[in-house]
This record gives sequence, structure tokens and C-alpha cells, in this order.
Amino acid sequence: MRVRSRFVVGAAIIAVAVGYLITTAIRNTSEYYLTVSEAAARAPELQGEAIRVAGRVKPGTIDWDPATLTLKFAMYAIPDPAAAPVKPVVATDPASFEVICAGQPKPDMFAPNRDVIVEGRLNKAGVIEATQVMTSCPSKYQPQQGK
Amino acid sequence: MPALGQLALALALLLAAYSIFANVYGARRNAPDFVVSARHALWAMTAMVAIAMAVLWAGLLQSDFSLEYVAAYSSTTLPTIYKITALWGGQQGSLLFWTFLLSIFTSVVAFQNRRRNPDTAPYALAVMAGVAIFFLLMLNFVTRPFQLLAVVPVEGSDLNPLLQNYWMSIHPPSLYTGYVSATVPFAFGAAALITGKLDDGWIRSTRRWAIFSWFFLTLGNMFGARWAYEVLGWGGYWAWDPVENAAFMPWLVMTAYLHSVMIQERKDMLKVWNLALVGLAFSLTLFGTFITRSGVISSVHSFTQSGLGPYFLTFLIIVVVSYSSLLAYRSRALRSRAEFESYLSREAAFLFNNLILVGIAFAVFWGTIFPVLSEAVRGVKITVGPPFFNSVNAPLALALVFLMGVGPLIAWRRTTADKLARIFAAPAILGVCTGVIAFVVAGIHAWYVLTALSLAAFVLGTIITEFRRGTRARQHLVGEPRARALVNLVAKNNRRYGGYIIHVGVILAFVGIVGSSFFKTDVKKTVREGDSFAVGPYTLRFAGVSAEDNAHVATVTARVVVMRDGRAITIMQPAKLFFKKPQQPATHVAIRSTPLYDLYIVLAGIDDEGRLVTFEVFLTPLVFWLWAGGLVMVLGTVVVMWPNVRERVAIAAALRPAATPGEIEAESAPGGD
Repeated sequence: MRVRSRFVVGAAIIAVAVGYLITTAIRNTSEYYLTVSEAAARAPELQGEAIRVAGRVKPGTIDWDPATLTLKFAMYAIPDPAAAPVKPVVATDPASFEVICAGQPKPDMFAPNRDVIVEGRLNKAGVIEATQVMTSCPSKYQPQQGK
Repeated sequence: MPALGQLALALALLLAAYSIFANVYGARRNAPDFVVSARHALWAMTAMVAIAMAVLWAGLLQSDFSLEYVAAYSSTTLPTIYKITALWGGQQGSLLFWTFLLSIFTSVVAFQNRRRNPDTAPYALAVMAGVAIFFLLMLNFVTRPFQLLAVVPVEGSDLNPLLQNYWMSIHPPSLYTGYVSATVPFAFGAAALITGKLDDGWIRSTRRWAIFSWFFLTLGNMFGARWAYEVLGWGGYWAWDPVENAAFMPWLVMTAYLHSVMIQERKDMLKVWNLALVGLAFSLTLFGTFITRSGVISSVHSFTQSGLGPYFLTFLIIVVVSYSSLLAYRSRALRSRAEFESYLSREAAFLFNNLILVGIAFAVFWGTIFPVLSEAVRGVKITVGPPFFNSVNAPLALALVFLMGVGPLIAWRRTTADKLARIFAAPAILGVCTGVIAFVVAGIHAWYVLTALSLAAFVLGTIITEFRRGTRARQHLVGEPRARALVNLVAKNNRRYGGYIIHVGVILAFVGIVGSSFFKTDVKKTVREGDSFAVGPYTLRFAGVSAEDNAHVATVTARVVVMRDGRAITIMQPAKLFFKKPQQPATHVAIRSTPLYDLYIVLAGIDDEGRLVTFEVFLTPLVFWLWAGGLVMVLGTVVVMWPNVRERVAIAAALRPAATPGEIEAESAPGGD
């Protein structure tokens, strides 16, 4: 039995080490992954936190300066595809965020009404200072058609 | 034609179902006729799936847009080679391709075992046919490759431009081959559990399959990394995306398995562990398909999200529950009498290597599903990105590399500190010297890099020691000249020395990964024609753009003159592409690779009608060695898999009822302890 316990001790040390690495790494590197509406609802508590927000690029808000590599735009909540295609009559503006991303080239697929994931921090003015803007590929390259 | 494909898939399903019945009935009632009939049914099933593949390929090549699949993933202007690879460009096609590989492997296993393993092979084949049934059910009822369109479009929507690349033509087939062949060890493990024939017969019968699977998983991961490096244009090759993790986890578990089987073969230990590992590897291949197909975990790759998720999850749960129940049911019979005697033994080193590999796989798994877990438990989606995976895996990788140096040299059972010092003195000195040189001469001060380089040198040192010892022994014992002794040493012990060559490849890749992760330079610059800017030792001058346009794609190419010490050394041409059918841009990276560093230029943006151009330039040290390491790993695996007459004899002996264990032990010749 003593021999067996020797092996158990070794295994336990490795298991504990792996567990320790995982928990500390999660504490240090995790970030909230939110939709625009979720982020808007929790905006006060998110200030200064690392966040990742998924939204859609608002047409007419894109401002791209190639000389300084600064991209500014606004993003709004991605409409729920399950919801009725008829637009609600309510006139309230859907939640949206302004985004500033400096020092990165503009992503290839970046365009109005594209879905993007923005990684960065929310500053005091409520603007997302992004370190990265990723365009998520439309999952299928078919023209939208009812099915 | 599509009707033919549909019919073939339906027949394949029936044949698979029949083969299970015939195999199980034949094995239980001892009716060899039924087993033979089951074998023929499996061969016929393979033929049916092949017909379905051919029909879909014909549709792609003829641009038959009445097929929904062809219309969705091809177009008339798509180059022929990509019409062929479009077969695995979409979900239905990839599942069909998967099923095809599975039926081929099942047929080969049926052929290999037509006289061997009469007790277990029918069950193993039944398990494989069971897996095939799942995929055939999907293809027949859930996601049909031969779905017709009511309105036939004039033109297809084209293959995703990111997939129109040669690495993408070979990456999915390699990965699928690796994934699917992991079914074979699993099936034999399950058969051993079902029949209660729990000796290591199942390991011996599937050893080559396990290496084969590992080989293709390695290739698949490497090709995928290379594809990401060349096509995605972010200067990296691995982003810890869920899809990449899905391919990486089975590789880790397979690697662990290939090492732990050696302990079972030698010491008759870890039987449960080995059976658990093959089960885990197979489950992870299903899990990988589940997460890529279900959309449960958001990935930048975003495959077609479909209703396939629940089916895969159900199948995965059935597999995991039934396999673990079998394992629990047989656990008493699997108990091993042998025990670990010392930490200073090869089996201990192998065991720790296994635990670390599985630990890494677990960390990767945890990080991958963490968003889902956090959402379920805390109501908020919390993601962990590359920093998580890097900070967890970096220390584990160091420990693994250390064990890689220790494991193969240390003796089985136990060894003394004295002996250890003698064996490891030279490699340890080499390692320390490398660290010191890196610190003093190269001016590297990051402790992680210094440790990594020292350990890498230490492992290379141990491998050189092993080759030298073996060659010397042959020179003395057999009286061969040195070169011949070296060749014969490898040829006669190909498993062992092929393994060492693979280790060399892993070390090279490790050095490449460390170098490229720690010392990457990233320069972003917007310039006008004629402007120059410096990146590391190079000066880059932007010499203008040229445009090209055809029906399929529009291309804008920039010319960049690369200068060093005032001399122009080359012209690099990064390009931006615009694919017409899907209305989607893509990038062509220009890469100049040298052993010291890669110069990697991305044409990141064009403004002001081509007069103002943004470049993103990466100078990545040592990344060359990652790919070189991959090649060396391929070479090593070829050596390992090379047919070895002595091994055949050993397997044949082991498969005879009264095998003597001595014949198998004969594997280690000069050089071994």
C-alpha cells in the first residue's frame, strides 16, 4: 500500500499544480463577454473592466483615419433573428456604444451593419477603448433567403 | 444523379445495421459464416459511401446548382482544385467525407482481422459500424448532402475565400484522417471491455492505428497553423480558438496514450488508464465536431451553425456513459499487480508525462467551455483568451520538456542517484551552457526563455547521448563501421529511435514557439509611394501598387523593396484580394522566411485610391523552426511506422495463445537498458 500511495502523492501534486495554474490564470485573464444590450445594462459596474462586446456596426458612424490608424464607430445591439421581422413601432433608440480603436489597421471585413466583436475597456465617458476589433464572418455566404 | 447518391447513403445505413447484427450474432453463436457476411456487408457499405462521394464530386465539378450543397459552396468560376476540395468546405460534405474515411478504415480493419482476433474483432467492427450508423443517420435524415433546390440558381455562392488556399485543401483531410482513425483503438478497447479479453491484445492490434491517428492529427494541426499563418494575416499561427483547441485536445490525449501503452506492454500496469485514454481521445473527436458544428461556443472561425449540436451531444453522452460503465464493470479484472517502485524510474517519468499531457488537455478543455460554464453558473458569459492558455500551459510545457529528456534515459523500475548523475552529466552541462550563452551573448534576460532554451538543449543532449551509446555498442558488439552502425541501430529499433527523432522535432517546434511568442516585432505604418520605414535590421520601401481583375477575384498587389545595409535584397508583394461572388475581401501575406526570423508583410489597408497604403509588418524570430520541427516529426513517424520484420514476429507471437513474454522484450537491443 505504501508503494501505491507514493504514486498517488505524485499524481496529486500534478493535479493540484494544474488546478492552481487554471484558477490563477482565470482570475487574471478572464473578461466579460457581453452583447451590446447586456453591456449597456451593466455599464456602471463595468467601468475599467476588460470586456468583449458583440454588436453590429452602425451605418454612418464610421470614421477611419489611415494616417494615425484610428478607427471610430458606433455599434448597436444585434437584433434577435427569432423576433418578428416587422420592426417594432417603439421609437426608443436601441442601446449602442461608441468605439475607438487606435493603432490597428481596419479589419478587411469591416463595413456598416457587419457583426463585430470588440475587445477592450469601457472608459468613464462610456466609450469602449478597443485594443482589437474582430469581424465575425457571416456563417454562410449565401444571399439571405427565407427557408 | 443526386437520387443515386441518396440511395447509396440509404443502402449504406442498412448495410451498417446488418453488419452489427451479423458480427455480434456470429461472435456469440460461434457462427463464422455470419462474421464473414458482416465483413462483406462492411465492404459493400464502403462502396456505397464511395458512390455517394463520387456523386457529390461530380455535382461539384459539373457545377450542378440544383444541388443545394453545390450552390452553397461552389461557383462556375471557382478553380477546379477548389471544386474538388469544396467537398469538405461545408457541413454535409465534411460529414460525408468523415463517413467515407470511417468506412474505409472499417473495411481495412475487417480485412486485417479476417483471421486475427476472432473473439474481439467482430465486436470492434460492430462498434465501428455503430459509429458509422450515427453519421449515416445524420446524412440520411438530418443534414442531407443531396438536398435539391426548388429554384435552381444560375450561379453558386462560391467557396469561402479563406478556404481557397492550398493549406486548406490538405488541412481538413489530414485532421479528419487523424480524428476518424482514433475510432479504431477506441473500438478495440471497447471490444476488449465487452468480451472481457483484457490482456494487451487490443493494444497490439491497434498500435499502428494509434500512431497513424497521431501522425495525421499532428499534420492536421501543423497544416492548420500554417494556414492561419499564411492566410489570416495577423502574424501568428495559433490563437487558442475553440476550433483549434478541438483539434489540439485529441492530439494531447493520443500523445499521452502512445507513451502509456509502453508501460502496459512492459510492466502490465495502467490498464484502466490506457482504456480510459482511448475512450477520451475518441470522445474528444466527437466533442470537437460538436463545438464546431453547434455554435454553443463562439469561434472566430464560425462554421455553419446548424441544428446538428444536440445530435452530437446526445451521441457523445451515449458514448461516454456506456464506455465508462463498461470500464467500471470490468475494473476488478483490470486491477494490476505490479506497482511503482520508485520516482526515479522510467515508468514514473512516463506517468508524470501522461498526467501533464492530460492536465494540459484538461486546461484547454476548461478554457474552451468556460464561457458556457460561467453563463450557466453565474449568468454572465466570461471568456478567457490566449493569455489564459499561455499562462497555464507555459509552465506545464517546461515540465513536459524536462520529462522528455529524463524519461527515455532513466532505467525501468528504479535507479540510483549515482547512475543518474553519470547519465545526465553531459546533457545537463550542455543545457546550462546554452542558458549562459543565451544570457551573455544573445542578451536574453527573460527567465522563461532562458529556462526553455536550456531545457531544449538538455533534451537534445540526452538524445545525442542515446544515439552515441547505441552506435558505440553496435560498433563494439557487431563490429560495424560507425555510419553503418548508426543506420542499423535506427533500422533495427525503429520504434525507439524513430521516437527520438520525433522528440527532436518537438524540441525544434518548441524553440520556434518560444522564440516567436517572446520576441515578435510588430510595426504598423501608413505610407505613400516612395516612402521608406525600418523594421528591425530591414528598411522597407513602398514602390507602388498594381491591380488585376478577373471574373473570380480582383487583386491589388503592393510592391515592397526590402533593403538591408543599403542593399536591396528582395521585392515582396503582399496583396489584397476581393472575391466577387461572396463580396468578401481577403489578404495575401508576403513572407520571407529565414532560420533566424521571418519577415511578414500584410497589406492592411488601401486608401485614397491606392496612394495611401497601410502595412502591418511582423518580424518573428525562429518561427522557421516550428515548421522545420513539424517536418522532423513527420520523418520520425515514418521511421516509427516503417515495417519492421522483428516486430511482426513479436506481434504474431503475442497473438498466439501461449505467447512467451520474452519475445516482446527483445525489442530493446544495444543502447537499451
